[in-house]
Amino acid sequence: MAPRGLAVLVFAVLMAFPAIGGDYWTDQLTRYLLFGLFAMSLSLVWGRGGILCFGQAMFFGGGGYVMAALTMGLVGGGLAGGLLTSTYIGLLAAVVAAAVFAALLGYFLFWGKGLAGAYLAIVTLAIAFMLEQLIKSWYALGADNGLSGVPPLDLGAFGWHLELWDPAPRYYAVLAVVLAVYVGLDRLLRSPFGIVLTAVKTNPDRAAFFGYRVLWIKLVTFVIGAAIAALAGALFVAVDEFASPTLIGFGLSTEVLIWTALGGKEMVLAAFLGALAVRVMEGYLSESLGDYWILALGLGFMLSVVLLPRGLIATPIASLAARLRGNRR
Amino acid sequence: MAELAAIALNATSYVLILILVALGLVVVFGMMGVINMAHGELFMLGAYVVVAAQGAGAPFWLAVLAAPLVVGALGAIIEGLLVRHVYRRPLDTILATWGLSIALKQMVVLSFGPASYSVVAPVEATIAFGTFAYPVYRLILMAIAVVVIAAVFWVFLRTDFGLAARAVIARPDTAACLGIDTRRLYRASFVIGTAVAGFAGALVSPLISVDPQMGLGYLIPAFLSILVGGAGPLAGVLAGGAVVGGTDSLLTVWLSPVVAQIAVFGLAILVIRLRPQGLLGARDGA
Repeated sequence: MAPRGLAVLVFAVLMAFPAIGGDYWTDQLTRYLLFGLFAMSLSLVWGRGGILCFGQAMFFGGGGYVMAALTMGLVGGGLAGGLLTSTYIGLLAAVVAAAVFAALLGYFLFWGKGLAGAYLAIVTLAIAFMLEQLIKSWYALGADNGLSGVPPLDLGAFGWHLELWDPAPRYYAVLAVVLAVYVGLDRLLRSPFGIVLTAVKTNPDRAAFFGYRVLWIKLVTFVIGAAIAALAGALFVAVDEFASPTLIGFGLSTEVLIWTALGGKEMVLAAFLGALAVRVMEGYLSESLGDYWILALGLGFMLSVVLLPRGLIATPIASLAARLRGNRR
Repeated sequence: MAELAAIALNATSYVLILILVALGLVVVFGMMGVINMAHGELFMLGAYVVVAAQGAGAPFWLAVLAAPLVVGALGAIIEGLLVRHVYRRPLDTILATWGLSIALKQMVVLSFGPASYSVVAPVEATIAFGTFAYPVYRLILMAIAVVVIAAVFWVFLRTDFGLAARAVIARPDTAACLGIDTRRLYRASFVIGTAVAGFAGALVSPLISVDPQMGLGYLIPAFLSILVGGAGPLAGVLAGGAVVGGTDSLLTVWLSPVVAQIAVFGLAILVIRLRPQGLLGARDGA
């Protein structure tokens, strides 16, 4: 668990960023924050829950498509005086749809003896691949071209509009959501539920023996993870004004896996910073390194898995925190 | 009638290719518990060996023979530098080999460019089945695939090496106590697995467009074949490949390729979920 002081520091820096970063980087960082939120969801599901999901982007992209379809008015646009095109309804529908889908999928995957480990990884990978193929040939949703012209975030309601077009307000709106989710996750993982989750991850049989319902605990974790991923995806399409099939499939699923693993999958804050760090580096380095950037990312990922399996960001944080605790004693 | 023959031939050739790809995977997975996500890229590299040879004016069959050697040598390097360090962490092998697959893909993009290549088949002739003509090269490919598959089975079921390998699969610690050099067997199996992948890629190269992204389209069906058939017994991969490849080929006749693929994946996932030990696996998973 990341020390709270560090989390306060990280979010303080993020709050101050638009004042020094300029409009371009503020806009970029808005997107990176959402990728970070996405990485948090995988950190919960995989790092803390032990559910190696190779298809986490199905929730991110799925949430994005629900948001895009609703706010663009593709689904009953004229109904209820345009109520369905509201940002709030879009976000809510994206989160609920992903949660329901995850509950059904999770039940299918985990009941009885359940799939785990490599089997689960391959099956979720295949599901993400299937969904990407499906969305690519779904003409009502733009097929290969995706949906462009997704309306921006609109904080107004009941006919009163407050559309967020400028980078800074949009950034703060997204940061507020990210902060709220982080605080919620931190509390959840420090609660008795978090301890039981660790027990289920470490030794499911023993946890079941103590009377915990392993299936339910896994399902709740999987569903919360899916809901967070969908929230990130829904906000992302509104910020990017574009929903494309790449958001749902295999490519993004493995990218988020890399961010989470590089940062440190067991520590939610580290996974979040991992996504931010990789994206910022990509922004800077992909111009100077060109195609070599992806090569470096692949090799770096390989090295970190072999040498620092707990993550490049989580390992130093954990050792620092241990040292601080030692001094206090 | 002729149409039926075409469907059957196409299905058989896809099934054999799938089994060839899956065979290299299952040797590594069944034996060491290593999920090699870079297997698709090793398959791709086999095809690129042929592309490079074609560019240099070397004969096709020489390239096909060189591909398993080149890719197998690469496999030995990968085993020594990467896989060896994560044997005891099976789930981390997924991630480590995933990083490797990204790196390999990008190396190919850097040296050959992202565009696709086409390889000229060494035999252009076709053979007439009633009203339709079937390329002779596909028939040759099928014959070679059968021979290679049989050879791999022979090695693992009929030689001393295979006996030792199966002992390591069943009880690694006991096998090591009996004086079997498990390290050497792991390395040999990994190299065999990668060499078969490279060979498969080289053989298939005239039938498909060779591009850096081609590996994934074979990796997922190959993995599903293994899990459907059962990762334990080597013969499981035959059943799994036949089911996954055969269903795909047959459904493609009536459905669009995309829908057929989605249907096959869904079916395979259902089988894996309901019978995790695979079609041929024993109930207790032994």
